[in-house]
Amino acid sequence: MRCIIKELINAFVSGTISGSLYALMALGLTIVYGVTHIFNFGHGIVAVSGGYFTWLFISRAGMGLIPATVVAVAVMFVIGLILYRTTLNPLLNTENWEFSVIIFLLGLGILWENLLLQTFGPRVKDIPKFLSGRFKLGFVRINYHEIALIVIVILSVVVLNFILKKTWFGQAMRAVAQDMDGARIVGINLKRTFGVAFALATAVTGFSGVLLATKYYMTPHIGWDWMVKGFVIVVFGGLGSATGAVYAAFILGLAEAVITLYLGSMWVWPIWFFMFLIILLIRPQGLMGGRTL
Amino acid sequence: MTKLNWKIIAVALAMVGVAVYPLAHGDMYIMHIFILFFIWSTVASNWNLLMGVAGITSLGNIGFLAVGGYMSGILAKQFGWSPWGCMILGGVAAMVLVTLLVGLPALRLSGIYIALLSLIFADSLPTILTQTRTITGGAMGLHDIPPFFEGMTRMQAYYIVFVFFMAMHAMIWWIIHSSTGLAFVALRDSREFASALGVSEYREKIKVFAMVSFMTGLSGGFYVHYLGDISPTTLGIEPFLLTIAMMELGGIGTFMGPVLGAAIIVFGNEFLRLAGTLRLAILGGLICATILFFPGGFIQLIGWIDNRLSRGRKNER
Repeated sequence: MRCIIKELINAFVSGTISGSLYALMALGLTIVYGVTHIFNFGHGIVAVSGGYFTWLFISRAGMGLIPATVVAVAVMFVIGLILYRTTLNPLLNTENWEFSVIIFLLGLGILWENLLLQTFGPRVKDIPKFLSGRFKLGFVRINYHEIALIVIVILSVVVLNFILKKTWFGQAMRAVAQDMDGARIVGINLKRTFGVAFALATAVTGFSGVLLATKYYMTPHIGWDWMVKGFVIVVFGGLGSATGAVYAAFILGLAEAVITLYLGSMWVWPIWFFMFLIILLIRPQGLMGGRTL
Repeated sequence: MTKLNWKIIAVALAMVGVAVYPLAHGDMYIMHIFILFFIWSTVASNWNLLMGVAGITSLGNIGFLAVGGYMSGILAKQFGWSPWGCMILGGVAAMVLVTLLVGLPALRLSGIYIALLSLIFADSLPTILTQTRTITGGAMGLHDIPPFFEGMTRMQAYYIVFVFFMAMHAMIWWIIHSSTGLAFVALRDSREFASALGVSEYREKIKVFAMVSFMTGLSGGFYVHYLGDISPTTLGIEPFLLTIAMMELGGIGTFMGPVLGAAIIVFGNEFLRLAGTLRLAILGGLICATILFFPGGFIQLIGWIDNRLSRGRKNER
C-alpha cells in the first residue's frame, strides 16, 4: 500500500513538472490560433529552434545560460515577425488559405528541421541546468532545477497574462480574438496585430523549447513529439483558450506520468491518440470551449 | 463533345506509351519505377480527392495505406489466402478502422480537427506496430509477402498494377463527376444554399472519406504484394512529404494534377537520391515555394501555355 502511494506521489511530481512545461509550449500554439486562426504545424520545430539557438550561443559564443536564453528568445521573436510579414501575410489573403497555410508550415518545418540536422548533426544536444543539486522531501526526490522550471513557467504565465491584459498590443490581440470585424471597426490594424501575435507566440514557443531541452534532451526530430502533445493539449483546453490550455497541460501531464508508470513509455503515443479521440467525442469544444484568450 | 485539344492528345499518347513500354523497351529498373509511379499516383489522387475536391484536410493518408498493406500482407502470409482476397480485405479493414476512428468523430467538427486527428492517428501507428512484434514484425517490418501469383514476372506485375491504376483513376473521375462531387462544388460555392437544397455536408464527407480510405488501403495491398515487404518506415516523414509534394506540385484540386505531380516526384526522386541527406530539406523547400509562388502547380502552368497557344491562333486569324 505504502509502495503504491509512493509511486503515485512520484508520478504526481513528475507529471506536474512536465505539465508545466507543456503548458508554456501549448500557450504558444493557442495564442497564434486564438488571434490569427492559423494552426501552426511547424510548432515543434519552433520550440526546437529556441533550444538550438540557446545551445549555439552557449557552446559557440560562450554566453551564460540566462543571457543565451534571452538572446535566443529575442531572435525567435524577430524570426517570427519576419516569417509572418514575408510569407504568411500574403498567404492569408489567398483563397483556401486555411489549407495552404497548414501545408506551407509543415513544409517549412521539415525544411528547417533538415537544415538543423545537416548543420548540427543528429547527435543529442543538451543545455545545462539552471540549478544543480537536489533535495529529498520524505521519499520524494526533487531536483532544484525542476523547482526552478516550475517557478519560471509560473512567472512566464504571469508575464504573458500581463502582456495580454494590460499592454496595448495585448489588448488589441484579445480584441481581434474576440471579434475580428469589431476590432477592425475600432481602428486596430489587423495585419500588425497578427504579426505581433505570431512573433510573440514564436518567442514563447522558443522559450518553452529551451526549458524542455534543459529537462529532457534535444534532437532536431524531437519537435514532432512536442508538437503533437501541444495539439492534444490545445484541443483539450478548447482551441484558442489560454486558460484552458494551462489546465489541460497539467491534466495531460499527470495522465502521461501515470501511463508511463503503469504501462511503460511506449504506450504514451497511442494513448494520447485515444485521449484525443475521447475528447472529440465527449467534449469537442474543450474544457474552456468558446472562450477566447 | 469537348474539343480535341493538344492536352487530350498528350494524355492519350502518354497512356499508349506507358501501355506499350514493357513490350517495346522493357528495362527492369524503369518498369519498377513505373510501377511505383502507378501506386503512388493512386495514393496521391485519392488524397487529392479528399483535400482538393472535398476540402477535408486529412494528413494521415499514408496511415490508411499502411493499414491496408499490413492487413493484406499479414493475412496472405499467415493464413496463405489468395492475395487478391487479402487486398480487398485490407482495403475494407482500412475503410472500417479509419472511418470509425478518424472520420466519424472528426468530420462533424470544423476543418482543423480532422487534420490533427488524422496526423496523430498516422503517428501512433508505428508504436502499435512495434508493440505487436509477433504479428507485424515490429521495427524490422513484414517480409516475404507472397506476390499476386506464383512465379510473377516484372512485366506481369507492371500490367496488373497498370490496370489497377487505370481503374482507380476511372473511379476517382466518376466520383468527382457524380452527385457527391457536385455536392462539394455546391458546398464550396454557398454552404447555406446547398444545405437548404438538402445536401448533407456530414454525410457526403463520410461517404467520400470511406471511399478514399478503401481505395488507399487497396493501394497499400498492391504495394506490399508487389514489393514483398513493408515496415514502419513507410509511415515515416519521407513518403508523407513526397505525396504532399506530388499534390502540390501537380496542382491540388484538379484531376490530372496529382498524376502529373506523381510522375515528376517519382522520377525526380531518383535524381534527388544524389542529394543524400539534404533530400527532405529540398522537398520541404519545393513545397513551400510552390505554395508561395505557384499555388496552382503545374496544371496552372499548362493552363497558361494553353491560353497563350489559343490566343496566338486567334491572332493569326
